[in-house]
Amino acid sequence: MHHAQIDRLSYRASPVHALDARVKLICVLVFSVFVISLPATSVSILACYAIWPFAVLVTANIPIKFVLKHILIVSPFVAVLAVSNLLYDKEVVVAVFGPWRWETTGGLLRCFSICGKFIITMTALVGLAATTRFSDLLAAMAKLGVPHLFVVQLGFLYRYIFMLIDRGYHVLRARAGRKLRRLGFGDEVKTSAAIVGSIFIGSIDLAQRVSMAMQGRGFDGRFHRLGKKRIAGADYLFAAILALYIVGLQFLGRVFY
Amino acid sequence: MRRKSRRSGFVAIVVGLIVFIRTTSARGFQMHMANELLSVPVAVGTLGAAAAGLGFVCHKAKNIITSDKFALMGIMGAFVFAAQMVNFQLPLMPGTSGHMVGAVLLAIILGPYAGAIAISAVVIIQCLIFQDGGLLALGCNIINMALLPSFLGYGVYRVFAGAELFRGQIYTGSIVACLVALVAGAVLVSVESAVSGVLSVPFYTFLFTMVGVHLIIGVIEGVITGAVLLYLRQVRPDIIAAGTANTGRFSKPVAYMTIIAATVVIGAGISHLASSLPDGLEWSYAERPDEPDFESIVSNQSPAVTAVEDFQSRYSVLPDYTIRSGAFGQKATDGAAEAGAGWQSFAAVSGSAATMGLIWLGALALRKRNGVQNAPRAD
Repeated sequence: MHHAQIDRLSYRASPVHALDARVKLICVLVFSVFVISLPATSVSILACYAIWPFAVLVTANIPIKFVLKHILIVSPFVAVLAVSNLLYDKEVVVAVFGPWRWETTGGLLRCFSICGKFIITMTALVGLAATTRFSDLLAAMAKLGVPHLFVVQLGFLYRYIFMLIDRGYHVLRARAGRKLRRLGFGDEVKTSAAIVGSIFIGSIDLAQRVSMAMQGRGFDGRFHRLGKKRIAGADYLFAAILALYIVGLQFLGRVFY
Repeated sequence: MRRKSRRSGFVAIVVGLIVFIRTTSARGFQMHMANELLSVPVAVGTLGAAAAGLGFVCHKAKNIITSDKFALMGIMGAFVFAAQMVNFQLPLMPGTSGHMVGAVLLAIILGPYAGAIAISAVVIIQCLIFQDGGLLALGCNIINMALLPSFLGYGVYRVFAGAELFRGQIYTGSIVACLVALVAGAVLVSVESAVSGVLSVPFYTFLFTMVGVHLIIGVIEGVITGAVLLYLRQVRPDIIAAGTANTGRFSKPVAYMTIIAATVVIGAGISHLASSLPDGLEWSYAERPDEPDFESIVSNQSPAVTAVEDFQSRYSVLPDYTIRSGAFGQKATDGAAEAGAGWQSFAAVSGSAATMGLIWLGALALRKRNGVQNAPRAD
């Protein structure tokens, strides 16, 4: 499965993988804030902002091609809205790039700006997901003050997603094997409702079995983890490099313009 | 100009409709707000609001969700992913198929608090693992796709379906609930992006596109939700009955209050934007290229959009373009400044490309020296 690939990547070993999940989560958040705060007038500076996620991915040995393919899959909604700018913002502007100079529309630049920001922030997010195990992310959220109930909910959800998706594939394959023609809308809905209903009932039964088994082993609603991870020197260094990088970009942008 | 803006609006709606239905039928529900469509104040504000809302829901649900129900809640969230895979052919639209979203179904069966927690967790997993919607847009997505649909959908269903005695009641209740819940989420998406001021699409065009698409999705969702509820009532009535006894459900007066509160909040948001953002028709009155001295009748600057633009312009670095001098009476551009900006942009892009190339080569050299280490961690 495509998404299982990200899960596998997160179990690799690299300096980025070894960093504390809290630091990585906060760094991605701060970095995204600075990227989206760039106005639509600044397109070329986005290239400078792309260096950070690129460096993180290269250091973590995550295939760039895989990341870009993944971003392409999640892009339709943003792509439609970015392209729709072409229809509405038709103000003629002069774009200059090195010795080249051409007249274009504000909508095209807005479109470029939205797509560029999307690729950069998404690369940072994929970088986070592909270098951090989900259990570490959960521990980070718990330490950052997310309610216990919600962290446990996320843990269980993540544990069973892939199992239930597999079950969904089995049921759909069974339907494809038995449904040899196109049914009317009513019958289509009835069949699909029965499938969804049976998956629902199956899920409830599964939940009861899991719950009984876990309680039989002494589960009291808490996840116990081996060892407490502390924020180490490498984490401070990572955060400091990001801070310097962002301050440097702001400084460069202001001084040289 | 007026006819042109109407025509382009229509094109946008049709293209939006086709792409939406295509993407929603292909994989997952694609109303996820993205970072790039939001401004920083809106993103931070909605993140705070969503965190407060979720905190409140978790606090309220503490007594309902005891440790023996943790597994059930998590598996119900995972069920949503499996349910979203079950697609079916749509009538009148050959080649397209629909599937259910599941937020309203879970709210009806589990109650609004448990449903909101389960769907919020789904939205967070979709963001962190599947990268649907950005990290900063998470607040918007939790509000639009989890908190609002759960409470609103549940409230409307209670009002319309009542004691769920007849098939018709269940179908009516679920269709109206899904319509209201999904359309309210869609309205919020357009309000959030209009307040952010990133898109240049007029507010009304975006709003009508979103609402139009979600009316269709809402009816389909309602039909399938009703059918699933009927199936469950037939096969496992105990599940539905257990849900009714759940203390996390609220009574009819509270349901009415929820609906009224949501209507007031959304209505106030739209009327505020409506008064400050002109629609496609009004835009044609905002500027008259044929008459440079024409004074626009309508202002196209809402206080919210102005504040956001002020915020962004303060951090503006390396602008890449200048507005052409001429017909609109804009300021004439200075040739020397323009050339300087061009070289700065060029330096930014080429410098970044060179830096990335160096990083790539450095990493390659290091990896060759140390040997590739892709083995799983020992811990």
